[in-house]
Amino acid sequence: MDIGVLRRDGRTDPFFDGTARDELMIKRCEPCDRWFGPDATGCPGCGADELGWARACGDASLVTWTITHGRDPDDEPAVLALVELAEGPWLHARLDGVTGPREGLALVARFVHPAEGEAYLLFSGTRRSPQ
Amino acid sequence: MGSGAAIAGLGMTELGRVYGSSPRRLAADAVRAAVADAGLTLADLDGLLVSHGMGGSPGIELAETLGLRDLRLLSLMSAFGATAGAMVAHAAMSIMNGAATTVACVFADAPLQPKQSAGAAYHRNAKEYYGFGGMTAALGFRSINAFYALAAQRHMARYGTTSEQLGAIAVSTRQWASMNPLAQLRDPITLADHQNSRWVAEPLHLLDCCLVSNGAIAVIVTSADRARDLARPPVHVLGWGQGHPGHRKERGSEFGLTTGALASGQIAMKMAGVTVGDIDVCQLYDCYTYTVLVTLEDYGFCAKGEGGAFAATGALAPGGALPTNTGGGQLSAYYMWGMTPLSEAVVQARGAGGDRQVARNDVILVSGNGGILDHHSSLILSPHAPSSQGA
Repeated sequence: MDIGVLRRDGRTDPFFDGTARDELMIKRCEPCDRWFGPDATGCPGCGADELGWARACGDASLVTWTITHGRDPDDEPAVLALVELAEGPWLHARLDGVTGPREGLALVARFVHPAEGEAYLLFSGTRRSPQ
Repeated sequence: MGSGAAIAGLGMTELGRVYGSSPRRLAADAVRAAVADAGLTLADLDGLLVSHGMGGSPGIELAETLGLRDLRLLSLMSAFGATAGAMVAHAAMSIMNGAATTVACVFADAPLQPKQSAGAAYHRNAKEYYGFGGMTAALGFRSINAFYALAAQRHMARYGTTSEQLGAIAVSTRQWASMNPLAQLRDPITLADHQNSRWVAEPLHLLDCCLVSNGAIAVIVTSADRARDLARPPVHVLGWGQGHPGHRKERGSEFGLTTGALASGQIAMKMAGVTVGDIDVCQLYDCYTYTVLVTLEDYGFCAKGEGGAFAATGALAPGGALPTNTGGGQLSAYYMWGMTPLSEAVVQARGAGGDRQVARNDVILVSGNGGILDHHSSLILSPHAPSSQGA
């Protein structure tokens, strides 16, 4: 399955500014020392409705995965996943080059800069987690 | 409080690949059919609860479409697949506390278009994608199937659940459907058919996934006292519950492992004064085979992680110890969200199941599931009034 062309809306500038410079920016509540996904709108811990952006290290581990198949046999299957960032939040993500997925597999974010649309990230195995 | 509440009427339009009627029209037809089934007229209604599927219609304007006047209860309700159970519970409470006497609960949807695949109705394809939600879709999450596949895969990895065990649910559900004239898919299938059906989103095969249907279903809820004098045998509403676990997307989440059935089942069974061992029949929300498996675990029919082995015993099939989805469910009969299990529960409680009627129908458990395992409702139904329900 092809990856679609990504466009910014009014809430995503810090995130896509991050992917443009190969950085994964997610949300963080400083007082609670808690990290959240980039789409989080508040902290359930302290009730703060404004979360700051902070850079995640890009390391992750595999929670669960699926290989999706289109009706068209020429359509390449996509390996989609829930990954757990080292900071704790889960992201819906796409894997690249992972042939033996298993729970807990070490992953690292890799940034892709397409000719059209915003940069995005995929997750691949690390050298410490041979496939 | 009186004698509690009961379902007195059931109305179903033609279901499946039926075109030409708007969801609002379908909803109106189902309410009219349910009222007639109960031996009532539209003028007897003083409450209407409405829910809809993908189409975003109908809403409370349905009351005007039906020409209903002087209603005491009118709401649009939305808890996704858990709505049918939530509507019946709301209607029962309104009746028991005197706010209304006779309430129609209806669901309608028409997502299917002629010459379009069933999957296309729930598929999200675009040239460009906006925002964080768009990013997930752009990466490949373009249908609900992928999200449920993540949940099923996690259950498999954690507990050793197998595709063949999921297949046992597809096969037993189709066995039931073969005896239901209203089922969209009635040809028997084998485990090999399940295993050979194309992948949709691994670990889910096509035969792990529900149908998509157009149509509408309504039920009439009234007091048990009144229901006794109406056209059909009353189906008593003995208990209800909801569960919305609010699994967070972060370390430690139970996503895919446990669901809202855990809370909603305990609440409903306690209210009804029954335990899991008292349940004779299950009508479980089966958007996927996996949903049935994890729901059985959370209700307590088997230990956590043993839902696959339990299903593989044949317990859910005709002649099994726990007849489940006796009309063919959403997998094989028709996909009317939470109205699919509810409608079959009414049929079985009345003893009107024909070839598929179960021998023991004293206590029937109905589940609803919405979102990606985010929302859950349970109902306990019975042909017997609470007082007459001996030990």
